Amino acid sequence: MAMPLVEPADAAGVAAELKRATGERLAVTIRGAGTKQSWGAPASPTGIVLSTLGLNGPVDHVAGDLVATAPAGASLDAVNEVLRRERQWLPLDPPASRLATIGGIVAANDSGPRRHRYGTPRDLIIGIEIALADGRIARAGGRVVKNVAGYDLSKLLCGSLGSLAVITSATFKLAPLPEASATLVASIDDARSLGVLALVIAGSPLTPTAIELQSPPHRLLVRFETSPKATQAQISAAAGLCTAHGAATAILTGRDETDTWKAHEGGMREGLSNVTSTVLKVAVLPTDLAEMLSRAEAAAAVRRIQYAAIGRAALGIVVVRLDGETTAHAAVVSELRRDAIARGGSVVLLSAPAEVRVQVGTWGPASDTGPLMRAVKAQFDPRALLNRGRHAWEAGPS
Amino acid sequence: MHKTFLNDLAHAVGPGGLLQDPADLLTYESDGLPHLRATPGAVVLPQTTAEVQAVVRLCRRHGVPFVARGHGSGLSGGALPVADGIVIGLSRMNRILEVDIPNLRAVVEPGVTNMAITKEVTPFGCYYAPDPSSQIVCSIGGNIAENSGGAHCLKYGFTVHHVLGVEAVLPDGEIVHLGGAVLDTPGLDLLGVIVGSEGTLAVVTKATVRLLRRPEKVTTLLAGFASIDAAGEAVSAIIAGGIVPAAVEMMDRLTIDAAEAAVHPNFPKTDAVLIVELDGPASEVDELFAIVESLCGKCGAVTMEVAKDQPQRERIWKGRKAAFAAMGRVSPNYYVQDGVVPRTKLPEVLRRIRALEERSGLRIGNVFHAGDGNLHPLICYDESITGQAEHAEQVASEILKYCVEAGGSITGEHGVGADKKQSMSRMFSPDDLDAMQLVRCAFDPTGICNPGKVFPTPRLCGEVPGPYRQHPLEQAGVAERF
Repeated sequence: MAMPLVEPADAAGVAAELKRATGERLAVTIRGAGTKQSWGAPASPTGIVLSTLGLNGPVDHVAGDLVATAPAGASLDAVNEVLRRERQWLPLDPPASRLATIGGIVAANDSGPRRHRYGTPRDLIIGIEIALADGRIARAGGRVVKNVAGYDLSKLLCGSLGSLAVITSATFKLAPLPEASATLVASIDDARSLGVLALVIAGSPLTPTAIELQSPPHRLLVRFETSPKATQAQISAAAGLCTAHGAATAILTGRDETDTWKAHEGGMREGLSNVTSTVLKVAVLPTDLAEMLSRAEAAAAVRRIQYAAIGRAALGIVVVRLDGETTAHAAVVSELRRDAIARGGSVVLLSAPAEVRVQVGTWGPASDTGPLMRAVKAQFDPRALLNRGRHAWEAGPS
Repeated sequence: MHKTFLNDLAHAVGPGGLLQDPADLLTYESDGLPHLRATPGAVVLPQTTAEVQAVVRLCRRHGVPFVARGHGSGLSGGALPVADGIVIGLSRMNRILEVDIPNLRAVVEPGVTNMAITKEVTPFGCYYAPDPSSQIVCSIGGNIAENSGGAHCLKYGFTVHHVLGVEAVLPDGEIVHLGGAVLDTPGLDLLGVIVGSEGTLAVVTKATVRLLRRPEKVTTLLAGFASIDAAGEAVSAIIAGGIVPAAVEMMDRLTIDAAEAAVHPNFPKTDAVLIVELDGPASEVDELFAIVESLCGKCGAVTMEVAKDQPQRERIWKGRKAAFAAMGRVSPNYYVQDGVVPRTKLPEVLRRIRALEERSGLRIGNVFHAGDGNLHPLICYDESITGQAEHAEQVASEILKYCVEAGGSITGEHGVGADKKQSMSRMFSPDDLDAMQLVRCAFDPTGICNPGKVFPTPRLCGEVPGPYRQHPLEQAGVAERF
């Protein structure tokens, strides 16, 4: 049975719904555009759905200060459409940015290839407004980039997956829109060489906005976005480095460039919504990434399932998609997870068939921070009503 | 203090690790904000995480409050002792444990100075980006507590953007690891809230920090302007031009004169100077720097000096970084304020400060991070004149009011500490402050970790209603325990 849906038009409306839900002990599933509902463990299917799409007032953009406050329900593309008028943007490029809302992107701390330069929402957020489970509205941070007054709740909310409070608006520092963009595509024989090449570029004086890997086939997409002259100079230098390391290169601009980046994201987006795909995020040290990729490729090949990876080559973050016989997915995830953990990293499921989740779990093993995270949750949401069951640490003590 | 407690402390930290002599305690009575003082019951100087843990466990058992302290250079009384508590001095935990150049990481103990990290990795062409003016002496533990910035945070961000993980001892004595060398640790971002929590949530005993590679080129411009307004216009023009410099600093006549007297940076004798620094690939820096020079010229720069080499660049920065201390050359005493205004409100707020200067009869020097609107008004006074210290404090408080009214903040980098906790209510509603203290209650329900800081009134950490009930999905094994 579908859960009743409420869609308040403002923060006060959200707070009122939460107060009511708390009074009636109703679980609340918080939802923006729904592009990342598969992230985290499945939330309780009882209670109500609180949609943030009604929180869609105007964007408050102060171009001279390079900051803007956006309502939680606005899509990232819609916000950037406003900011573009002053030649600025919120430099985030997560998947599905046409739909994905500001609130959802912050709650999931989602980002894309340009994380290499600009970081995640956590690195850009400077203020937040939230509605608490008890029906109060609270703000933290502010509208200035430099500010150390009080606890930075905005960072705590980044990646909280709606488990602590409902984000109603967020304020970010912005970046000027670059004048020019060009992408170098470097193709190379194997995952290890790809990893080496990524670190060579990251270790050079060049300042790309993205160093993105694809595998298979093994390619690096290195994007430069700055003034026209500097873009030209940097991409030539990068091409030189790639050639010296045995890669075949091509330089893309304009429509070709845009299309290549769209296609790059597309496969993973499709995987997230495909019920038979398993999509996982692998995080390891940058120097371990090539080895992890090789292992993932081998593990999939042995089990005859399809494997594809894209990711932030110089940051040690890669998203892997597995297709084909789902019974083999869990084994691959377990193998990669063991390996990643041994290297101090993690493997988290972003989307998976139910049987895969049951076998391997969404998050991996507990850490020594579990009790503390549960204590924070208990303070913010004492009755465990918000996105119940969604987050890693929410379960009771083992 | 109870004798058993002190004996146990002495045992926990080993020989030389416990200070009780009044003469020894004197050092710890205040941090860099000397007018707030309190004598702690004792000071411990642990050398390992295990010793910190033992000390914190004792405090917890005996209900004794503790204040962690780095090198005491804080400017908000964040490390002000609690009279019936102890100070945990972390200066002996000062080892750089690991440097991983390929992954651009370093693991350090909290007592390592900010500058020591950069020195350690300089031979590899790397550095640690946050650069507070006190970087020669201030500790990383203190930087984490205060979320320290510095002149270059306009482009590179603050401590919170450069600390990837910490090991910390919680107020109940448990050791936790938040974040780490690998990005995207699953779970809540508690690291993001520990950084900047002013030592009120935990004692950080180890930190993994991010290193940056030195940019290919750095160009520094020192421009003199006939007025602060003209210099401010140049800053706006640079930002409007889509350029994000590594740093944009401004000083007014009074602070220029003071710096000149103290460290002779050879600044122009103008009413304002602007230091603009660009860094990055040479091709980009050269192109953008020409634009910056042209914009400064258009906005009425009367002098422009471009640093040709590192010594010249260092001389310019010395003039800026010495500005606080240099005020001693022009005034017997001075009060350092730290407030933030949106950059676009700078001219308006500076006009209000000038009017206040005339009205109050106290000279006010202005040195600030112009790129991000972080003001450091220096209010000059003479302690020997009755009432003038209090007057200076009132003037400083009035300036904070202007900052808040302009939509800014009561502190950009010095922290709230003990000094500004009453000002928090100017910026935040009771509900805002209460929400922040929910975090405090989760970390430190008994309120023994640096109590009396940040918040105007402590929140009572009540019991959480109802027992935790297992979710059906957990029962089904669909959602696992973590």
